Amino acid sequence: MKTLAAAVVVLSLLTGCGGVAKAGPSATATTVKNCGIDVTVDGPPQRVFAAYQPAIEMVHALGISDRLVGTAYLDAEVLPQYAAAQQGRKYYKNLPSREELLSQNPDFVLSGFNDVFSSAGSDSSFGSRKSLSDLGVQTWIFSPLCPTADGKGDEAIDPSTVSMNNVYADLRDLGKLFNVSDQAETVIADQQKRIAAVEAKVAGAPKPTVAILRPGLEGGGLTVSGGPDFGTVLIRQAGGVNAFADLTSKRNVKISVEEFIKRDPDYILISGCCDAGLTEAQVQPDVQKILANPAYANLKAVRNKHVVPWLFAHHSAGVRGANSTELIAKLIHPDLVK
Amino acid sequence: MTRSWGGRAAGLLVACVVLLGVVLLSLLAGNQWFGPHDVYVAAADFTGSDTDRVIRYLRFPRTAAGLLAGAALGLAGAVMQGITRNPLADPGILGVNAGAALAVVAAIGLLGVQSLTGYVWFAMGGALIATVVVYLVGSVGRGGATPVKLALAGAALSALLGSVTSAITLLDLSTLNEFRFWVVGSLTMATGGIVTQALPFIAAGIVLALTLGSSLNQLALGEDLAATLGTRIGLVRVLAALAVMLLAGTATAMAGPIAFVGLAVPHVARALVGADYRWILPWSLVLAPTVLLLADVVGRLVARPDELQVGIITALIGAPLFIALVRRRKLAEL
Repeated sequence: MKTLAAAVVVLSLLTGCGGVAKAGPSATATTVKNCGIDVTVDGPPQRVFAAYQPAIEMVHALGISDRLVGTAYLDAEVLPQYAAAQQGRKYYKNLPSREELLSQNPDFVLSGFNDVFSSAGSDSSFGSRKSLSDLGVQTWIFSPLCPTADGKGDEAIDPSTVSMNNVYADLRDLGKLFNVSDQAETVIADQQKRIAAVEAKVAGAPKPTVAILRPGLEGGGLTVSGGPDFGTVLIRQAGGVNAFADLTSKRNVKISVEEFIKRDPDYILISGCCDAGLTEAQVQPDVQKILANPAYANLKAVRNKHVVPWLFAHHSAGVRGANSTELIAKLIHPDLVK
Repeated sequence: MTRSWGGRAAGLLVACVVLLGVVLLSLLAGNQWFGPHDVYVAAADFTGSDTDRVIRYLRFPRTAAGLLAGAALGLAGAVMQGITRNPLADPGILGVNAGAALAVVAAIGLLGVQSLTGYVWFAMGGALIATVVVYLVGSVGRGGATPVKLALAGAALSALLGSVTSAITLLDLSTLNEFRFWVVGSLTMATGGIVTQALPFIAAGIVLALTLGSSLNQLALGEDLAATLGTRIGLVRVLAALAVMLLAGTATAMAGPIAFVGLAVPHVARALVGADYRWILPWSLVLAPTVLLLADVVGRLVARPDELQVGIITALIGAPLFIALVRRRKLAEL
């Protein structure tokens, strides 16, 4: 019966007898800008595809989990408060192809990582945002990851966009698009309150240097979070300094082992990644490797046992911001933040 | 250069001195430059400072790995060029290293083998299988195993094996990322333990390869003439294959697949001392680690604070040479 009704509507539209000529956005349309691109919806999107951890958690935080038609690529377990909402959602361990994505018939793709819309990114591509909007699929990249142009990815982040304020702006804009502004404001208020509380406690305290290290990547060298990584913001909020903030070519910067030793950070967070069931406990073996390596034995962080398991998911821009800020603050200012 | 015995020996001595200089350079150069005194302290008067630790636990093993891998790859290339009378022979180009690398990654990733003494056997097995396959594929069709056909078969097989290696390392990102260096060789994964374990295998390969000089000279005259002169061709082939397996297999197990060193160095040696394998082999033994360590030092300095893997640098230097060799008309005249 539904199909029949739809067929009638389509036919009447085709023959021009529908009466509702759809040229351009209608009166009910909402438009907001994201990374310089206009995102326009006719009423709240109903079929959302969320790619990567931050996007999936953002959808749950906004309370629109029931609109998810698919989720992909978790870096770790979702936050406990979203576990129930994530339970039973369609989930892809790896990023689906463009065709697979489109077969889920989404009307909105929310991505927590920019490379997915990039033409030469590290992750298999959904195609550029324009190519999706041509098909009627609206898209969203988290603002702290905005590339300088559509089709570009992680190598083209504008460092000035990497801030918690842009996470809030995203929440507000998405709240508008999805007609859940109240929930968005609730989330923002909670994040702001918790981060302000941490900042108040650590204000004036000495700022230790913190390195976020991806274990075991790339032929003998190391991969650390550089300046444009959101970890820089989180460490700053927690009263520390990213030991590699001056390396700004990419979020994840490759460096030599010797460079790492030279910088001698006060704290080393071992950033485990990329499995839906990953927890900090599973990162412990990589921590042991660092502690047992004689080349690192003289590092402050190693001598003081300040090498700790961490999750890549913790330092992605998104609604984990407050949680991660608290975790880092507890670690580097244990006397000030309990 | 003079081709007299004395001249060649004196030249070899100079090459040894140059190698020693490069070894020292490899200990001093990098992200931070150290002085010779720092090296002495790290070796003899260890205090546990960062400098001591960087030299002892990073630069020593890395330099030792470069010495061993370089010597092994240079000799393996010279032996391969001699036994196949093919100027394009090189354990990298003929797929030997790719076979060894795949076998190692499979052993580590799928079977859980941990130590070099465990997976070096897989490396040698993989090297042997790849050699046989390349030779069979390259021999099909008219004209038999011509140099270019063998090189093409090697390149094709290397690409195939390399993609399987990548696939295995990508299957399980969390545990296998550190083995990505099996796709491009690097000296930074070698620890003191790994180098010590590799040493006996490479030493055996070096001794074996150096005994093959006269036999390779006779083979260069053609198989029929060599047989008339009393060379047991079958035995020489087996010994040569064994030497290449030991050398290229262990080098790859230690440092990943490094291409072009085994190709370029024997040609340089040939240009310096002539076609006599009794000289080409020891010269390759000394020149190859010189080249490899220099390439590694360059890789450390050009991309700071990162490093380029040594396999990338050797490919940059070696690829143009390879093209020049292929374009030379009288290719089959080794």
